[in-house]
Amino acid sequence: MKLVDLLIPKRISGQIAAIVVISIVVIHAILTAVFVLNRPDPRTETVRLGPGELTALIQMLGNAPRSERPALIAIMTRAYPQFDIAILGPEVKLISPPGPRGGPPGPGDGSPGPRGGPPWPGDGPPGLGMGPPGPPPEHGGAPPHLLHLSRDYRPLMLEGAPADRIAVALPDGEAVGARLAFDHRRPPFWGSTELIMVLFLLVSLSLLGLWAARALSAPLSSFAKAAENFSLDGDAAPLPERGPEEIRKVARALNNMRRRIAALVDDRTKMLAAISHDLRTPITRLRLRSEFIDDDTCRNHMLRDLDQMRSMLDSVLTFLRNDGQREPMTLTDIATSLQSIADQFADIGHQVGYRGPGHATLMARPADLQRAVTNLVDNAVRFATDVSINLQMTADRVVIEVEDNGPGISDAQKAAMLKPFVRGDDARTMDEASGFGLGLSIANAVAIAHGGVLSLNDRQPQGLIVRIELPTRAEPAAASNVTV
Amino acid sequence: MAREIAKWERMAAIPNILIVEDDRETRSLIAKYLRANGCHVLDAADAREMQRAMTDHRVDLIIMDVMLPDEDGLSLCRKVRAKSQVPIIMLTARGEDVDRIVGLEMGADDYMVKPFNPRELLARINAVLRRQASALNASANAAATTYGFDGWRMDFRLRELRNPAGARVALTSAEFDLLRAFCERAGRVLSREILLELTQGRNCGSFDRSIDVLVSRIRRKIEADPQDAVMIKTVRSGGYMFTPVVEPIASAQAATAP
Repeated sequence: MKLVDLLIPKRISGQIAAIVVISIVVIHAILTAVFVLNRPDPRTETVRLGPGELTALIQMLGNAPRSERPALIAIMTRAYPQFDIAILGPEVKLISPPGPRGGPPGPGDGSPGPRGGPPWPGDGPPGLGMGPPGPPPEHGGAPPHLLHLSRDYRPLMLEGAPADRIAVALPDGEAVGARLAFDHRRPPFWGSTELIMVLFLLVSLSLLGLWAARALSAPLSSFAKAAENFSLDGDAAPLPERGPEEIRKVARALNNMRRRIAALVDDRTKMLAAISHDLRTPITRLRLRSEFIDDDTCRNHMLRDLDQMRSMLDSVLTFLRNDGQREPMTLTDIATSLQSIADQFADIGHQVGYRGPGHATLMARPADLQRAVTNLVDNAVRFATDVSINLQMTADRVVIEVEDNGPGISDAQKAAMLKPFVRGDDARTMDEASGFGLGLSIANAVAIAHGGVLSLNDRQPQGLIVRIELPTRAEPAAASNVTV
Repeated sequence: MAREIAKWERMAAIPNILIVEDDRETRSLIAKYLRANGCHVLDAADAREMQRAMTDHRVDLIIMDVMLPDEDGLSLCRKVRAKSQVPIIMLTARGEDVDRIVGLEMGADDYMVKPFNPRELLARINAVLRRQASALNASANAAATTYGFDGWRMDFRLRELRNPAGARVALTSAEFDLLRAFCERAGRVLSREILLELTQGRNCGSFDRSIDVLVSRIRRKIEADPQDAVMIKTVRSGGYMFTPVVEPIASAQAATAP
C-alpha cells in the first residue's frame, strides 16, 4: 500500500481527529508565520525614531542642570536633528492644556504651577504618565501623552504652532519644545496588522473547516441517498462501497444480502417456470386424447377443463416472464389492438365494445399490452354483462380503460387485488374463477414496464373501471421490426 | 372427417406427414388423430429416425418438436431447410414470441404451442400444404415473406401488418389470413365462397363467422375511410376485390425499417 494510503485515516473517528489536529496545527503555523514576518529586523532597519527616543532626550534635559542644557541641546541637535529640540524662551506663547473636561487653562508663561499641576485627564499610575487620548487640542500641540513622561513634566500648548510641535515644561519650569518626528497618529483600526491577521485566520479556518466537513459528510450523504433508492431488486445499482470504513462495511453487507436474495428469487422462478413447462406435456396428451371421446358432453367438459389449465399455465408463465426478457418497444396502432380484442370477445358471445379513435399510434410493446387488456376483459366478462374498452389519446398520455357494470371492487380490497394470486372472492369455487388471480397483477406489471400506471376506479352507478395510463414517447422513432 | 378427406383428394394426393416428437404418447396420439383425418403418418422419435424416414419415404410435411433428445429441433430445422423445401411446422412447449421468431427464421413455415387444439393443427397443415401447392405453380413470388401495398407491409413470418408510418396494426388470426388471401390474389374478384374456403378452419368453432364481418373489420383498420372503401372493394355480384398493387418484398429488405 502506498504511504499516502497508510496515512489517511479510514475510520470516522480517525478522520475527525485528523481534522481537529490539522486545524490546530494550521492556526499555530499561521500565527507563528505572522509574528515572524512582523518581527523587526535589526540588521536591515535603521533606528526608528519613536516616542521613546524623544522621551529619553527630554528626561535627560530635565535631569541636567540648567547651565548644561544648551550644550546638551547642541549635542542632541547634532544627533537627532529631526526632533529640533530647543529651549523655549518667554517670547513663545505657552498655554497649559485645559484641565479635566475643559477646565480653565493654567498659567501659560512657563512658570511652574503648583507641583502636580492640574491632573491630566484619566491619569494612570504616577511616574508613567500614561493617559487616555484627550480631545484634540484647539491650538498647536499634539497630545503629549505619547511621550509617557512622568507627571513632573507638564505638557504645554503652543499657540499657533503646527500640529507636530509640542512643548513640555521641565520639572524646574524651563520649557522645551520639540517636533514629533514620528508618526504620532494611532494607526487606523482597519489597516492594522492584527486585524489583517485575524481576518486571514477567520477566512482560512472557515474554508478549511468547510472542506473538511464536506469531505467527511459527502460519503455519508451519498450513502444515505443510495440507500433510499436501494431496493432488493436485482436491477437497481448496488450501494457504493466508498468512504470511511464503517460506511463501507454497511454497504458491503447490504449488497451481499441483495445478491443472496436475488439468487434465491431467481432459483424459485426458474423452478416454477420449469414446473409449468413440464405440465404442458401431459396436458397436450390429454388434449389429444379428448378428441377421441365419443360422448360429446364428456368431451366438452374435458376440453373446458383442459383449456382452463392451459390458461392458468399461460398466466403463470407470463407473470414469471415479466421480470426477464421483454418484448422490445415498437410503433403500434393501439386502437386496432383494442378493437381486435373487443371483436374476439364479441365473437364468443360477450357484450364487449370498443370506444375510441379508429387509430392511435404510440411506442409500446403490443403483445404485452394486448395480453394485459385481454386479461382485464376476461376478468370483466366473468362478472359483468356489459364491458367497454375505451381509448383516449392526449398530447402526452394514452388512457386505456376497461369498464364493466359488474359488482365492482370495494375500496378496501382494491390494493390487495393488484397483488398476484389474489382472487376476487376466495370462497368462489374454481368453476367460475378460471385463473390464479394473476390477471390484474400482470396488467399492472405491463403498465409499469411501459412507464405508466394502472388504477382501479369505481364506476357509477356500479361496476369497475380499470385504467391504464401510459406516457406517449416524445417522438416515435422509425419502426423497428421485432428482431431476435 | 369425410370433408377433410375430400379436400385432400381434391389436392390429388393424400399427404405424407412425418411427426418428429420424442414423447411416445404424444407422438402416437397426434399420429392417430391425423390418420383419423385422412393423412398418411410416419413417425420418428429423434433426428436419426427422422433422417431415415426422409430417405426411405416421400414426405410432404414435417411436424417437428423443438425439444429433441439428440439434436436441437431448431438447428435440425435449419439443416432440413438447407436441403429441401418440405414444409415444417414446429411444435413447442415454449410459447415466447422470441422462440416463434427464431423458429421462423430457421425456416419453419409455422409454429404451434403446446398444448394446442388438434383441429387447429389440422387447419394449419391444410393451409401450409395449400400454400406450398400454389407456390409451386407461381413464379418468384414464392420466396417472398413480405408483401407491400400502398405503403403497407405484411410480414407472413412474423404475422405482422405495419401501416405506412411503420406502426404495427393488430389483426386477429382470421383477419390476417383473409388479408393474406387478398394479397395473394390482388386485382381478382373473389366470391365469398372462395374466400371462405381459402381461410376456413383457422379458428375452429367459428366457421360461420361471415366473410363480410371480417372484411368490415379489416376495412376499419386499413382504409382511410372505412365507409368508402377503396382497397377492398365490394363487387356487386357478390364478392370482393383487393385493388392495391401488391409487390413481394424480399426478406432482406423487409428487415430494414422504412
